[in-house]
Amino acid sequence: MIELTVNGQTHQLDVDPTTPLLWVLREHLKLTGTKYGCGIQNCGSCTVHVNGKAVRSCGETLEEVAGKNIITIEGLSEDNQHPVQRAWAEIDVPQCGYCQPGFIMATAAFLKMMPEPEDQMIDRLLTNICRCGTYNQVRAAIHRAAEIQKEDA
Amino acid sequence: MKIIALNRRDFLRSSALVTSGLLLGFEASAAAKVQSVSSQLGPFLQMTNQGKIRLGVPVVEMGQGIYTSLAMSVVEELEMTLDQVEDIQTIFHPVFKNPIVSYMTSNKLQLQMTGGSTSLMGWGKNYQNIGATAREMIVSAAANEWDVSPSNLTVDGEYVINTITDKKLSYGELVEKAAKLKIPENPKIKESIEFKTIGKPIKRWDTSSKISGKAVFGADIQLPEMLYGTIKNTPILGSKIIGIDESKAKSIDGYITSIPLEDMVIVVANSTWLAMKSASKIIINTEGGNVDLNNESIKLRLREDSKLEGVQAGNKVGNVEEGFSTSSTIVEREYELSIQAQAAMEPLTATANVTEDHCEFWGPIQIQDIPVMVATQVTGLTPDKIKVNTTFLGGGFGRKTEADFVVPPIVASKVLGKPVQITWSREADMRSGFYRPPSLVKLKAGLNPNGVPHTFEAKVISPSPSLHLAKDLGFFFPIWIDENGYDWAALEGMPQQPISDIENEYAIQNINVRYVPSNIDIKWGFWRSIGASGNKFAIESFMDEIAQISKADPLELRTKLLKHNKRALNVLEKAKLQSNWGKPQKGHFQGFAYADSLNCIQTQVAEISINQRGQIDIHKITCVLDCGPTHNPHLVHQQVEGSIIFGLNAVILGEINVQNGQIVESNYDDYKMLRLKDTPPIDVHLVASSAKQGRIGEIGTPVIGPAVANAVFAATGKRVRRLPIRKEDLA
Repeated sequence: MIELTVNGQTHQLDVDPTTPLLWVLREHLKLTGTKYGCGIQNCGSCTVHVNGKAVRSCGETLEEVAGKNIITIEGLSEDNQHPVQRAWAEIDVPQCGYCQPGFIMATAAFLKMMPEPEDQMIDRLLTNICRCGTYNQVRAAIHRAAEIQKEDA
Repeated sequence: MKIIALNRRDFLRSSALVTSGLLLGFEASAAAKVQSVSSQLGPFLQMTNQGKIRLGVPVVEMGQGIYTSLAMSVVEELEMTLDQVEDIQTIFHPVFKNPIVSYMTSNKLQLQMTGGSTSLMGWGKNYQNIGATAREMIVSAAANEWDVSPSNLTVDGEYVINTITDKKLSYGELVEKAAKLKIPENPKIKESIEFKTIGKPIKRWDTSSKISGKAVFGADIQLPEMLYGTIKNTPILGSKIIGIDESKAKSIDGYITSIPLEDMVIVVANSTWLAMKSASKIIINTEGGNVDLNNESIKLRLREDSKLEGVQAGNKVGNVEEGFSTSSTIVEREYELSIQAQAAMEPLTATANVTEDHCEFWGPIQIQDIPVMVATQVTGLTPDKIKVNTTFLGGGFGRKTEADFVVPPIVASKVLGKPVQITWSREADMRSGFYRPPSLVKLKAGLNPNGVPHTFEAKVISPSPSLHLAKDLGFFFPIWIDENGYDWAALEGMPQQPISDIENEYAIQNINVRYVPSNIDIKWGFWRSIGASGNKFAIESFMDEIAQISKADPLELRTKLLKHNKRALNVLEKAKLQSNWGKPQKGHFQGFAYADSLNCIQTQVAEISINQRGQIDIHKITCVLDCGPTHNPHLVHQQVEGSIIFGLNAVILGEINVQNGQIVESNYDDYKMLRLKDTPPIDVHLVASSAKQGRIGEIGTPVIGPAVANAVFAATGKRVRRLPIRKEDLA
């Protein structure tokens, strides 16, 4: 049995400890907001928070994250009220939407680290892929989220 | 399309949807051949007792915003807003055959499909009509209640209001009474001047579920006792499986079984992860296939085929031989396009549950009829026993029109007697084929003494993207594919093709286009903007070369060729202004391209420089677009920007290579994708016009290539005649 804490809830899991966190979330805990895109930590669709840091969950095994605090898109806010989600709704970013939870999770962690983001830092640190090409709206939403975060503080 | 009231019994088997309220559907018209799929009926418009709207729609939501667009058409007529629309589902229904596909195939091919940017054009008015019908019915119900004439009543989105007495009744209170009334024959729909929602930049209906993680995509379907699986392709293109060795996979706890198909193995386990792990242990024995297939042999094939005469493509105009004999200058050039993959973020996936007397399917599919075609063959069940559910698509770009990912879960569930979900690994997805075919485009122009082309000859050499579809359909040839080999999908973007707007094309007196369908043994398919992505690169680069030879400004040359078209001249004028044409920032260079595809008129100007590392820096893209009346400018902006970025990826970054009979690329680390850091600012300027509605889902993709390549010429003096642009093309 491995103990895993996700969105504040602790689970006892009888799962192969080498299973990537992504699949534990999706298929054992039924938290399907975290998406499979590449399996090689390249696209960022599976981004979640582990101890507050953005992590590509396809590359972390269950045993590596056991005992740590994991937050998924489902746990980011109750009702899309996290500043990043509010900014995303305001700019109306998503198209197909598949990569968006990963972008939102990556942005939320990024803004904690860098509350006043400059474009250069966004370029360097937000490397998720969106095939629909929402990038310019993502950039606008990151800046807007930073503003909302400040207003809320 | 006539609107009918739906009998509640129709829904008994369909789902747990609330089935009270006002329920409206479309009547099967004579054109839409009804198949026996009665169990699949769903409400197309339901107004609930709370006065909310639920919609069943024929088209799938893959990012293009069509759920939002159709909901806008409905709420427009009811004076409602999108937040009053509780639910939208894609439903599979015999009346939902794509009217444009039906038209293109003279009603021979009846498919419910989303593709070719046809959704709004095909369905927008019908949804306005059904909304208007619901409005007239609740108004009539209120009129009966108060015993007044309907002309004294008005609606505000929540209430029917008596303008004389100021009395109100809510929509919710009226639906049950409205449901008993006769359906009005010709409900009055609004004129565009009366629109309050249509034409406005309205935010998407699906955003909320897409930022909360709740939106259900293909692999988010969960069923009790469901097994998970994946796919392992044969390594060599075109090879067939003769046997498999699963002994190493058997040592994996949770591995269940493998089922070989013709050119792939289905690997099933207790979880997707275990299935993928097991798949890596399966050894496939194959025969046949073409190990000699590689980039060079493909190039050589196209080159050899370019000597063939090929088939006539579209209308022949004037007389090209005569034209060339009277030309003061003749220009001949060739352009080459690489293979490209759709690579949607959501890999191929689907789920099926086959029981003795029933089959239910779930998946992110662009053609709803395919699971029925597949399941009748695999299970022997009749179509009325097969239920098709469509999830959100995590991008399609043409790839999810195919049947290859529909087959595995149906087969596996039939064999194992349990629900099975099959999710392809990114590697399997990327190596599975249905790519945009490579192409060689040979162009020849004859110029008059003023340097303006009056004669144009083209030969497109490329495998047919549609041929497999014709084969799958039992060698039935829709009108866009001819038995002689003509394939409209390979010719889109060339002048004088069927179903295009000739008046938006350059006025050239003599035109002849020919097509050589090359036979290269790889699965080819539809890629966002199909043939236009190659053909517009060739033509618009060629025009830039002609301008250079004629010492003309590239934009001015287009003005001369489009004198006959006021819309085009207007767009060119705006392009000049908005892009600051001819006056780039210091150290920057501009490239121009024009396109007439899909009832739209469009220009793009790319402003670039070459950086110290010898790479292209794109500083700005300015797109001016006249797509006729805009249903929702916000969605148009999204689609234009997105389709430009999709195209740009294939212009400066990604390509699929073939070596020793195998696809080289396997994931996003080698089939590279643009990221935030690579995305230039894109200015989209919409030009209002009263022309017919354009199709915008793939509009920007073909135009960015020539705009960038022409800017590269301006910057370096080197002409780029192939895509993607390699570093060595710049120095």
